Amino acid sequence: MDTAIIGEALNLLFTFEVLAAIAFGVVAGIVIGALPGLSGTMGIALLIPVTFGMEPVAGLAMLTAIYTSAVYGGSISAILINTPGTPAAAATAIDGYQMTKKGQGGKALGISAIGSMAGGLASGLVLLFVAPQLAKVSLAFSAAEYFLLAVFGLTIISSLAGASLLKGVISGVIGLVAATVGIDILTGYPRFSFGTTALQSGIELVPALIGLFSLSQVMILAEQRRTGTSATAQLVRGKVLPKLRELKTLVPTILRSSGIGAFVGILPGAGGDVGSWVGYNEAKRFAKDKSAFGKGEPKGVAAPETANNAVTGGALIPLLTLGIPGSSATAVLLGGLLVQGMQPGHELFTDDADVTYAVILGFLLANILMGVLALAGARLFVKVTTVPTKYLAPVILVLCVVGSYAINNSIADVWVMIVFGLLGYLLRKTGFPTAPVVLGLILGSLAEKGLRQSIVLAQGDVLGYYLSRPISLVLIVLILLALFAPVFRRKMRGKVTEEPEEQKETV
Amino acid sequence: MHSTRLTRRSALRYGAGLASGVLGPTLLTGCGSSASADAFPDRPIQVIIAYAAGGGTDVGARILQPYVEAELGVPIEVVNRPGGGGWSGWNEIVTAEPTGYVIGFINTPNFMTGYLDPRLGRTEISYENFTPLGNQVTDFSAVAIHPDDDRFDDLPGVINHARGQALTVTSTGVGSDDHYASLGLSDRYGTQFDVLHGEGASDGITALLGRHVDLAFANVGELKSLHDDGELKVVGVMADGRQRSPHLPDVPTFEEEGFGGFSSWSSRGLAGPANIDPRVVDKLAGAIKRGIQNREHIGQLAEQGLAVDYRSPSEHKKMLIRDERTTRQLGTKYIWG
Repeated sequence: MDTAIIGEALNLLFTFEVLAAIAFGVVAGIVIGALPGLSGTMGIALLIPVTFGMEPVAGLAMLTAIYTSAVYGGSISAILINTPGTPAAAATAIDGYQMTKKGQGGKALGISAIGSMAGGLASGLVLLFVAPQLAKVSLAFSAAEYFLLAVFGLTIISSLAGASLLKGVISGVIGLVAATVGIDILTGYPRFSFGTTALQSGIELVPALIGLFSLSQVMILAEQRRTGTSATAQLVRGKVLPKLRELKTLVPTILRSSGIGAFVGILPGAGGDVGSWVGYNEAKRFAKDKSAFGKGEPKGVAAPETANNAVTGGALIPLLTLGIPGSSATAVLLGGLLVQGMQPGHELFTDDADVTYAVILGFLLANILMGVLALAGARLFVKVTTVPTKYLAPVILVLCVVGSYAINNSIADVWVMIVFGLLGYLLRKTGFPTAPVVLGLILGSLAEKGLRQSIVLAQGDVLGYYLSRPISLVLIVLILLALFAPVFRRKMRGKVTEEPEEQKETV
Repeated sequence: MHSTRLTRRSALRYGAGLASGVLGPTLLTGCGSSASADAFPDRPIQVIIAYAAGGGTDVGARILQPYVEAELGVPIEVVNRPGGGGWSGWNEIVTAEPTGYVIGFINTPNFMTGYLDPRLGRTEISYENFTPLGNQVTDFSAVAIHPDDDRFDDLPGVINHARGQALTVTSTGVGSDDHYASLGLSDRYGTQFDVLHGEGASDGITALLGRHVDLAFANVGELKSLHDDGELKVVGVMADGRQRSPHLPDVPTFEEEGFGGFSSWSSRGLAGPANIDPRVVDKLAGAIKRGIQNREHIGQLAEQGLAVDYRSPSEHKKMLIRDERTTRQLGTKYIWG
């Protein structure tokens, strides 16, 4: 990394527009995360069209600020009303809510804020130093490797599937089928375009994402309009800022969770929810008094909250260097990158290095700002959880329509958004997860393009081509491991006759 | 909302059939057309870009925008309508009312593929559905190799190698100028190329940098800075004649290397729908000419590695006819025939 680029990046970063965008992103992220039912993914999808007219640094820094802040925001409702605002905050609810019941809600929020900030900062540093190294290697990735990476990415659908693997796979297939729409890149033949010009370039990613995550959410929110949220502001008792002595006892937990989170984040598919559970379990395993967990143990708040924010920076690494999103939130961020005309990969760290580094440094800044705002404004953000749905739903609906239209000035994109919104609603009502649809949509076209390009490049000997490339071999092994490891594990377990309780850890 | 109305109206007119295209617009704008031609322009003019903001065409258009605005005295709104391989935008131009208030950039030869390829269902369209208003940029195709490639070092070496053994080459898509460049070369000189279609110039250039392909077919503007930095080596520019590109003065043209008779480029110019009042065309074309030929405009485009190549509406039309002939010939023979 050379210092000249960092200097340029700092120049790009410290402008009014960028700093204002980051501040807005942090506040918006915390608010979106705190609102039960609204996720960071949805917030990012909704705001991508807004970034379209902004400078790349401002737009992207805002989106990453929303990403990390929403993860923290999710802990607010988890701690105070036992309703995780985001899936990644589910582990936080266990001890966080117990602390609230003990009258330590304020302190729990403070610990969550400090943990989130520390985790986010640590992962931002990992991003800053690891991503450029990986980007250098990314030149060695060609069509064959991208095909295998996409396939590897598709194997993680199982981790996003939730309760039913079958339903997860079906969702993934829906995404794969949708990815076949558009002109065939190698022959120029229009597929499933039904004579429309709009579909010839395929299904537009961002409108589809807005539909799947935002419109469907509005419909679900609108259904629940009668069940108002309870007033929670009065639940915040006690000081928000924890005492220094208390903080000291949390330091090992925070450090451990930072490492775990950043590592889990780099792995494709293992998003914030996995990170926070692993962080929680490890904190419990290392604790002297395990019985305190589940009864309002501060470490039980610090561990998952640090880990799930540490995931964010880690997850940006494969996104920026290879264009492989590991979760729904990073999938949506990919849309944000593409809207700015920035192709993930080698170029982000060469031609666009100033912008990329400015965004990464902005991400670090966003985490600091998030910590400060979260500590100073905890009582204010808590009020957000009481905003009635009747105001929220129409606003989001308007943003969905305007946003989908604005990207390409295309009414057809609004239809894509509506169709995917209805699809998302139907899927969610019937218990199908929506994240695999997005992964299928993005990775499906990547896999098809990679496979077919690699066949051209192989000039006849496809198998030999794949087996003669070192990175391709490593990826093949990884895919086989990902596919068969669970089968082996189950067989091993069958022999040792272990109790099936263990499996819950990875959910 | 304005645009929605436009689309709907355009669709209605489109539905009425292009066969009545000559009569229809005259009827629609018939009354008071002379008065409106005299008053032209008295409101903002929309310039449609068939590609996303930030792309090459968009950047070029936004550089030109203030110079033409100054000439016409009314604001110019640049509207990006990407999608459908450019046809989301070009449809809009074809079906716009021929008042001169909706014009746009057309990119050859890519937009020709969109109506010549029968699989895409636009065979009723041709260049005659457009009124050429002047060409802005011509970016010649060029062939680049990796500097560490020890099999060949110059264009004759590349061609000789490709006659014996197929080389993998890049393209920015089926029916793109880069695709026609490799097809045309094979057609004339018997070379064998396995074409790797990607989604943009950077796709192909990255593939060459990583040595996953043998050659990159791309435009001068896309290759210039990497060539100057020595990251890749451009071995030939596909321009007719011996006139070297000012942006790559150390690179010979194909003709210089003994492979004349074939040239390839991507050009972009302004055009409106057919049947615009000739007086409106004159006003627009005059303003566009002065804008494009403005020294500052030329300098700013040069910074992008782009050569300004102004052609008057009649020259622009000749260029389109010539491009269409090549595109139809190669396309029918190798792509959709």
